[in-house]
Amino acid sequence: MSVAIIGVGQTGYRRSFADKSSRELIWEAARLALEDAGMGIDAIDMVISGVAPDALAGEASVERTAMLGFGKPFLRINTGGVTGSSAVFAGNTFIRARRARAVLVVGLERMGQATSSQQVFNTIFDPVYEKDFPLTTITMAALRASMLMRLYGYTAMHWAQIASRSYRNALRNPLAHIHRDVSPEDVLNSPLLAWPIHRYEACPMSEGACAMVLVDEGMVGDRIPAWIQGAASITDSYAMGDRIHRPGATLVDLLSLKLAAQRAYAEAGVDRPREQLRAVELYSAFSSAEAMAYPALGLCASEDGPRFVEAQFTDPTLPVINPSGGPQGANPVSVTAMVRIAEAALQVREMAGERQVADVERAVATGQGGATQFSTVCVLGKRQAA
Amino acid sequence: MELVTIEGKWDFNYTYFAGESASRFFHELRENQRIMGTRCTKCEKLLVPARAYCDVCMSVTDEWVEVGPEGTLETFTIITTAFPGLPKPPIVMAYVTLDGADTALINLVHGMDLSDIEKAAQKLNALPRVRVEFIDEPKGRITDFSFKLI
Repeated sequence: MSVAIIGVGQTGYRRSFADKSSRELIWEAARLALEDAGMGIDAIDMVISGVAPDALAGEASVERTAMLGFGKPFLRINTGGVTGSSAVFAGNTFIRARRARAVLVVGLERMGQATSSQQVFNTIFDPVYEKDFPLTTITMAALRASMLMRLYGYTAMHWAQIASRSYRNALRNPLAHIHRDVSPEDVLNSPLLAWPIHRYEACPMSEGACAMVLVDEGMVGDRIPAWIQGAASITDSYAMGDRIHRPGATLVDLLSLKLAAQRAYAEAGVDRPREQLRAVELYSAFSSAEAMAYPALGLCASEDGPRFVEAQFTDPTLPVINPSGGPQGANPVSVTAMVRIAEAALQVREMAGERQVADVERAVATGQGGATQFSTVCVLGKRQAA
Repeated sequence: MELVTIEGKWDFNYTYFAGESASRFFHELRENQRIMGTRCTKCEKLLVPARAYCDVCMSVTDEWVEVGPEGTLETFTIITTAFPGLPKPPIVMAYVTLDGADTALINLVHGMDLSDIEKAAQKLNALPRVRVEFIDEPKGRITDFSFKLI
C-alpha cells in the first residue's frame, strides 16, 4: 500500500499571530490542506494532532484545539522536535495498515504566547541531574558545535556561511518568519550567545500551524501526489554524556539519523543520495546540526563536511539544502519537522513557487528531537517507490 | 478593531522524586565528597552519574564505583549572553569524563580567566585535564561540585 501527500496547508510563520486563537491557527492550516487535496472533512477517516510541550503555549491539553469534524479516531503525538514528522509517520502507518484511507495531520506551535520560552526549554531536561545547569537548546547545540570544530575543522565562518545561505533562501519563501538578507559577516558580527554560536546563527522563535492530507494510492485520483517512498524513525539514548565514548558514533555522529536514513533510503530505493535527492529539507535549528546531518544522510564523509559547505556555493550539481530557508527562516518547534516534509512535498509536486528547485524527482526531509534522541527521515518522490 | 489579549501565568510548584540511585549519588556527594557511578551488568560500562539501569541494555546497574576526582574535558561551551531565569554569564559548561568512568558528566567549569572568550575557548579546545572541586557545605545536589582546570 503506497501513501501519498495530496494536500498541504501552512499558515506561514511569525513571532506571533495576535489575530488568531490557537484553534483558528489550526483551522486555517487544516482548511488550506483540505482545499489543496480537493476534499471535505467528511472524507477524512482520522485526525492526528502534533503538539509539543503544553507549557510553550501555556495551554494544557492543547490537542483540544485540533478537534476537526465529528466522530473520528484521534491521536496526539508529542516527541519534541520530531513531533511534526512523527505525526505524519503515524498517519502513514495507519494508512499502510489499512486502518484508514485518508488522514488529516495537523501540527500547531503556539509559543508566541510564551513570554519566557527559554525558561520553558530549560524544563525539558532531566530534573534530577540536569535542571540546575544552563542547559538550553542553544547551549546543547554549542556543546556539539565546539566538538565539530575540533574534530573536523569547521570554523566560525562555516557556521556563518550555512546560516547566511538559509536566510537568503528564506527570502524566496513567503511563509518564512524571517526575511532578512544576512551575510556571513553579519552572522559573525552578531552577539555571541554561547561560544561558538552567534545570535544570527540561532533559529528564531516562531509560531504557526501546518496540516497535511495523506491518502492511500486508490484515493489520489487527479490530485498531484508526493509519494512517501520511505519513512523511518529511530531513537537513541537520551544521555548525551553516554554517547561521547561510543565507538564509531560519538555525540556528533548522529547515529539515529544515520540509521533512519539507511532505512528510509532502502524503502525508497535510494543508493546514491547525493545524486538522487535534489532537495534536502533539514531540521537544523543551528548550523552545527546541519553539519552533523551531512554524513548521516550520506551527502559527504564527516571530515569532508567543511568542504561540502563551501562547495554548495559553487557546485550546482549538489543537492539544494533547505530551499525554504529551513528552521533559520522559521522554527515553529512542534511543527518544524512537519514543515520539512511539507516543503519537500511542495518541491516534489512542483508547487514551491519562487523557492522551487528544478527537476526534483525525490526530496528528503529530516527531523531531530530532544537531545537528538529522536531522528526521522522521510523520502518523498514524484513516483511510487519501485 | 483592537485585538484582545488575555494575560496568563503558569506558576506551579513541584517536588521532583530523584529515586533511589540518584539519592545515593547525592548522599555520597554530601557525606563523602565523592562522585559515584554504577556499572551495567551487561555491557559493563561504568555509568556516571549513577543510575538504576542502563537504558541501552535494559539491565540493572547495581555495582557502585567511585570515579575521579580528576578527569578529561570532552566538549564545552562558554555562555556569554544572559537568559531570563538562568545564571549570569559568562559561564563555562562542559562534559568531562572522570577517571574510571565510561561516560561523560556535565557540570560547570569554574576558576577560568574569561576576560578573553576566544582565548579561553582555545584553552578548552585542547581538552585539558580537570579536577572536581566541592563547595564548602555540600547539600546533596549536583551543584555541590564543579570542575577546575589542573
